[in-house]
Amino acid sequence: MKKSILLLMFILSIICSLTAKTKLKMELWNRWTYQTEDGVLKKNEMALKRGYFRLEPTFGNNIKGRFNLDFYSDDDSPTGAGMKLKYAYLDFNNLFPVKDLKLTAGLMKTYFGTIYSWDYTTIEKDPSDKYKFVSSTDYGVGLSGYFPKGFGTYQSAVYNGEGYKKTGDDLNKDMNFLVNTRITPIPGITVGGSFMMKTAKDSEIADSTGTMINNPDREEFMQFAGVGKFAYGPAKLLVQFLNQTKSKPNQNDYDDVTKTVISLMPTFKINNSFDLVARYDIYDPNTDAENDGKSLLLLGTNYYIMRDAKNKPKLFIQANYEIETPEDSEKDPLNTIMVQLRWIFSNKI
Amino acid sequence: MKNLLKKIVITNIIMMLIVVPCLAKRNHVTIAGSTTVLPIAQATAEIFMDNNPEINISVRGGGSSVGIASIMAGTVDIGNASRHIKNKELLAARESGINPVEHIVANDGIAVVLHKDNSVKALTMAQVKDIYTGEIQNWKELGGKNMPIVVISRDVSSGTFEVFNKLVLKGAKSIDGALMLASNNAVVTTISSTPGAIGYAGLGYVTKRIKAVTIDGIMPTVKTIQSKEYPISRTLHMYTNGTPKGLVKQYIDFVLSAEGQNIVEELGFVKVD
Repeated sequence: MKKSILLLMFILSIICSLTAKTKLKMELWNRWTYQTEDGVLKKNEMALKRGYFRLEPTFGNNIKGRFNLDFYSDDDSPTGAGMKLKYAYLDFNNLFPVKDLKLTAGLMKTYFGTIYSWDYTTIEKDPSDKYKFVSSTDYGVGLSGYFPKGFGTYQSAVYNGEGYKKTGDDLNKDMNFLVNTRITPIPGITVGGSFMMKTAKDSEIADSTGTMINNPDREEFMQFAGVGKFAYGPAKLLVQFLNQTKSKPNQNDYDDVTKTVISLMPTFKINNSFDLVARYDIYDPNTDAENDGKSLLLLGTNYYIMRDAKNKPKLFIQANYEIETPEDSEKDPLNTIMVQLRWIFSNKI
Repeated sequence: MKNLLKKIVITNIIMMLIVVPCLAKRNHVTIAGSTTVLPIAQATAEIFMDNNPEINISVRGGGSSVGIASIMAGTVDIGNASRHIKNKELLAARESGINPVEHIVANDGIAVVLHKDNSVKALTMAQVKDIYTGEIQNWKELGGKNMPIVVISRDVSSGTFEVFNKLVLKGAKSIDGALMLASNNAVVTTISSTPGAIGYAGLGYVTKRIKAVTIDGIMPTVKTIQSKEYPISRTLHMYTNGTPKGLVKQYIDFVLSAEGQNIVEELGFVKVD
């Protein structure tokens, strides 16, 4: 049934795109992963980690759409391959008498931290994604705009709260709420923050008699992200602090759990063909517990084989070496080598 | 002695590897972007290099979006654009430590142009919009011959398209059959060989091969553009990263000088006020 719906949506998007000016884009990630722990080989895999198929129809100047299918084929997939609907939204521009303000509706980006603008300068996921603060997309409605003269941007949105791939018991009837902003007061210095309220599981459930009672498993999350981006010549530094507090309001004796991440990601552009990248994360899933966290150290390089006229990469190789070290000294680090070939092509139909 | 010579040679090679690129960079200015601004950049660069033989300026087109993107990427010294930088572009640049500074180097009008044998001489803004949105599809509806209208427009990376879209189409979608071309020259060439064609191009590109029509009774001329009487007028820009210095400043100062502005005028554009 789900596949039928996806297929139907795909067909509808094709029909729709034929009646509008449409940009077609494809991005593919061919990746080799080599992973060891305590000298034991855990993974040695070549896979198509991502195959983004994107349609961007334009219905005049004021309405634009984006439809994104995410294909993948790797050893982790139960059937060897899979497909997800990643984006399916419309942007409505000039709907309000505010310059550059737009309304977005559909399966859209989650404007939290840097997940919505993450361009995978390293192969690794955005911290908000990797440490499960948010899903990168969700069904929702939002407003986004720009402060004048390039001083920043802001977003406010309401989401389903289930992301784009969640099913099962975590579904509930409540909406998630988010606000986000970034300010660039001086060229090269950007600071920002996101705040999100989200929930899991319904607030009430039916007991054996059919009477509605408070759900003891109800979860409420308050989370925020602080972001700093610094750019000077060829050097850039991205700093993030993520914080999430989980509470169970229907359990009187439940102690709130706080999860934090600190992430530093410097990059250095050697020339137009080579970047050096690094990253250091400190992850603590529960600030009240001991030895449950981990750190991530990543070193890498990007080699840009081909760029387009606007200097955007079209064909490039990424190589990353990661060491994920548990806080618990009795556990062994996880060492990972990843080499990825990314290729991007687009056309207008 | 042999080791000393070896060290001297190695040192010199290293110094050359450091100094030569710096010298090359110092004597070289790169420009890219708008095909509308391209003739201004080419002509002024040529005269500037004649006056300064030790300096090399390379100029290429690509469109206004390419010009602005190239400044943002740091791959050129000057990005040409026939439209203003967008807030989204400005923000992305500033986040990357780039501070785009706009220099208005000329004024221009976007002429609506037809094949020289087309009998239609005048159009209104509303009629142009109706043509481009498919509401009017035959020249006989405008008092011309019974001939289908061939709509020619510009690629979306074009600043000319952006301005035309904003001022004339008001954001409306062009007809699906519109022929999207990459440059002003391509527009002129196509119209000159297509009797039913209509297109638009910077005033500097209007030649005897095609003809401009009046818009709301106003012909695009230097005078009507300067007075802002002509309704489809704009400014042409060169963008730099920050306040220009050194050779870049010298070159832009030249473009804005009396000599540079005379070149602008000779090319069919309008001097900066």
